[in-house]
Amino acid sequence: MTNRTARRLLGGLAVAVAIVWAFPIYWMVNSSLLPNTTLQSFVPTFVPFGGSLGNFREALADGSFYAALGMSVSITLIAVFFCILFAFLAAVAISRFRFRGRKSFVIAVLIVQMLPAEGLFIAQYKMVSSAGLLDSVIGVSIIYVAAVVPFTVWMLRGFVAGIPVDLEEAAMVDGLSRFGAFMRITFPLLAPGLVASGVYAFLQAWNEFTVALVLLPSEAAQTLPLWLRGFVQASATRETDWGQVMAASTLVAVPVIVFFLIVQGRLTSGLVSGAVKG
Amino acid sequence: MNKRISAVATAAVAALVMAGCASGDTGSSADEGTDITLWLNGGDTPDELREFLKKEYADQAGGTLTIEEQSWTDALAKLTTALPDAENTPDVVEIGNTWAPTFTYAGAFTDLTDMYEELGGDKLLPSFVEVGAVDGADYALPYYFGSRYMFYRKDVWSQAGVAAPTTLGEFNAAAAALASADRSGFYIGGEDWRNGVSWIFANGGELAVQEGDEWHSSLSDPATIKGLAQLQALFASASRAPVTESDSTPWVNLNNNESTGAPEAATIMAPGWAHWSIGDLAPDPEDSTTLVPTWNDATFGTFVLPGTDGGIAPVFAGGSNIAISAASEKQDAAKELMRIIFSEDYQTMLGENGLGPANLDYASSLGDDQFATALIESASTSKLTPAAPGWAAVEGSGLLEEFFGKVNGGGDIAALAKEYDAKIDELING
Amino acid sequence: MTAPATAPPASAAPPPPRDAAPSLERRRAIRGPYLLLLPAIGILLVGMGYPTVWQVVTSLQEFGLQQQFGRPAPFIGFENYAALATNAQFWGVVLKSIAFCLITAVVTLVVGIALALLMNAVARAPRLILQIALLLAWSMPVVAAMTVWIWLFDRRRGAVNYLLDAVPGIDMNRFNWLESPSTFFAVASIIVIWMSVPFVSFSTFAGLTQISGEVMEAAALDGASSWQRVRGIILPMIRPVIAIVFLLQIIWDLRVFTQITMLQDAGSKSGEFDLLGTFIYKLGTKSQDFGMASAVSILVLGITIALSWFYIRGLVKDDET
Repeated sequence: MTNRTARRLLGGLAVAVAIVWAFPIYWMVNSSLLPNTTLQSFVPTFVPFGGSLGNFREALADGSFYAALGMSVSITLIAVFFCILFAFLAAVAISRFRFRGRKSFVIAVLIVQMLPAEGLFIAQYKMVSSAGLLDSVIGVSIIYVAAVVPFTVWMLRGFVAGIPVDLEEAAMVDGLSRFGAFMRITFPLLAPGLVASGVYAFLQAWNEFTVALVLLPSEAAQTLPLWLRGFVQASATRETDWGQVMAASTLVAVPVIVFFLIVQGRLTSGLVSGAVKG
Repeated sequence: MNKRISAVATAAVAALVMAGCASGDTGSSADEGTDITLWLNGGDTPDELREFLKKEYADQAGGTLTIEEQSWTDALAKLTTALPDAENTPDVVEIGNTWAPTFTYAGAFTDLTDMYEELGGDKLLPSFVEVGAVDGADYALPYYFGSRYMFYRKDVWSQAGVAAPTTLGEFNAAAAALASADRSGFYIGGEDWRNGVSWIFANGGELAVQEGDEWHSSLSDPATIKGLAQLQALFASASRAPVTESDSTPWVNLNNNESTGAPEAATIMAPGWAHWSIGDLAPDPEDSTTLVPTWNDATFGTFVLPGTDGGIAPVFAGGSNIAISAASEKQDAAKELMRIIFSEDYQTMLGENGLGPANLDYASSLGDDQFATALIESASTSKLTPAAPGWAAVEGSGLLEEFFGKVNGGGDIAALAKEYDAKIDELING
Repeated sequence: MTAPATAPPASAAPPPPRDAAPSLERRRAIRGPYLLLLPAIGILLVGMGYPTVWQVVTSLQEFGLQQQFGRPAPFIGFENYAALATNAQFWGVVLKSIAFCLITAVVTLVVGIALALLMNAVARAPRLILQIALLLAWSMPVVAAMTVWIWLFDRRRGAVNYLLDAVPGIDMNRFNWLESPSTFFAVASIIVIWMSVPFVSFSTFAGLTQISGEVMEAAALDGASSWQRVRGIILPMIRPVIAIVFLLQIIWDLRVFTQITMLQDAGSKSGEFDLLGTFIYKLGTKSQDFGMASAVSILVLGITIALSWFYIRGLVKDDET
């Protein structure tokens, strides 16, 4: 009975924490529905009664959002795909084979991601520009894949190591080829791990804005973070129109939230099987 | 260095002329021109003017002009990477007048000395021509100028019985008298050095001085210190703005606040075009969810900041220069665009939109309303930032914001001045 | 363990010993692993190799705007590093960054683990509610999240000041959070913690679900208090998770950039509000001293390696066995 009360109390605590955690997101959506005249008041309005979608219409009016969305989606898809592919192959190599240079590779992978990116932009610009890839999806994607691969290798390495070699070998005894055994046995077991690292790569590519700022100088090639920042800056020359800015933020957040809700189940099971083994 | 740049530019032009001839010979149609790109900073150039440039360029040169707007915050990073890069450089760039010397010294721009007379010669705003010139050769020419003056609430001033100031001392006293717990007599951010520098200028001080070839930060100069002390006292007594606020949007505080129905500032200092954002607030007839200001002469007024002994206090001259990227492979087309920008039509349009035209012959296009009068009056004594090679780095480093913020936060002026003189000296000579 | 002759169910197989020795046949395949590594190494060399080399070289040069426009860059040896070593402002930023990073990472870890334990302890419904809330925070794009937080902490119309002001006896009307470094970094820290806790919680919770119920029940029967159970059983079992997560937090928090830049946009860009990320970026883009910016980057790399040495060493040892 005390146990049950304690559980209830903890349940209440969990809900309270949830409310605090979700409040900024609620606030964003709430403000995005309110007219600017209401938001100008010194007394905040906590519920969007009488709200409208007017702010969204304004934010979407010039169509630049759709262009940025297209850009972000293409870059993210390409970056996630190649990042997972390359990292997966590398993870198999280092967790299934012993070979000369293996340790150096692991350490190099660890250290590369500790290099602060903020000082690299000139070199990255020179490189991408000399390849004629400025303002292109490919140029930014290459940098993103390179930036995200190290951590993904590291993450997947734990997953691959966690799948017993014996399973594969047993399947080979049953007459499957090495590749076939891998595809039938190991790959499905790896799916949660691939999802978990895919989510990581997705977040990095979707959120990045320093590299994008320099490598996508043209307005026509903005990604969503650049679009949102530009939107905020443009609004700030007058008094910031918080309603529209919040609507724009909501627009940028929605695709990610939807994506998360879709992969949510696999993500947790991915963390379950991968995280403990590190 | 100049020789090198002009040699490169000449070679590039020569190559282009030949390329142009060649393509002409092979019989491409006459209206097929060169497509070029123009970078503008921020939203200062109104849409109407942009459309004009595109249309004129298409008519006269037959090509497409692409105008890309760079935000002031990110412009430095983008100019630094793109300008040296022949493949991706914009062909013509607007550049903040304070950054012009740095990029000019670095060799970013094409020598325009040959075109100088054609584009207006000595009718062009001399101080702006100067910041874009090295050793007598012209690289970056003036684009437009702005100037800062005071906007005030007539109702608040008259209610408090404060008379219009004729000297800087009177202004400081009036601003203090108008301040209350929730209203600034004079609203100025603590880090707002672009407005605050006027108190230094008015007392005969400077931010930096040139001795021979070397520039030196002169914050410790007694005249500068005197101005800073006045500013510090004024900030403490009259401004309720955050000490961390820099050159932002003071005009919103002059309008009535939605909740209280009263303004949060009795006076502000701002570039002339701020008047579009000041006035009685009423719902936008096209969109009832936003408020638009309409200037009302009964409530709002303007004056220029008076000097220490009357007259006019020098203000910081705002505005931009414009130049052709030395790395551009379309020098001829870029020059064509420069001709359009410096044409009577475009210069007049600048003036009509409240931007001071580069060619002073067309200054009358600004009109003769109070805004034009205040703009011209304050511009007449306005000063530019030092034309030192490292000035963009000084500004970019945020040292001035930091210094003014600390002074206005009540710091020891002499000690701070010494400290920041040393920091700025490290950067100022490039 | 012996492998079943048929394919195993797709659900989690029990983890094998970590260092399961590879079979002889694999040991002989010499080319295989290199081929598998090729794409990853290739992309790293392309994407990071050249920039990193450029950075090392530039850190030994005097490289400013004029060099960017084609002037030759003179090599000056370790002058940039020497200048940094005696630059009090730089060391101030380093100390601030390390303090910010450690405080933020520790609080993130503590809150994250606490919430994971909470998830583990409550009924299904409240757990789901908490998980969804955390998932929402986790999925917020940084730029969008920062925009919302800046609006929440707005001096005049922010909800935070309004709510605090409503508490009797507290006057927070127009309190400017971004005006002094201490509250500025407190706000930055709150935001970073808000964003990072979900990752820690979900990873830890995933670890917790691996602990079998029997062990816990046995411990409870033996009369272990809940705190004893947490300390004696749960924490040791999830230690590997915590180690990785903590290392990641340190790496990420030391380089925190977007959050600080955007807060500076809303507040002050003055140097007092810099951490290493913004310090480097300003040296590069604003002061145009790329030589110095590169030198700082290399030093930051060194600092990060030093801070995470405990983990790297463990990893290397682990590998040798």
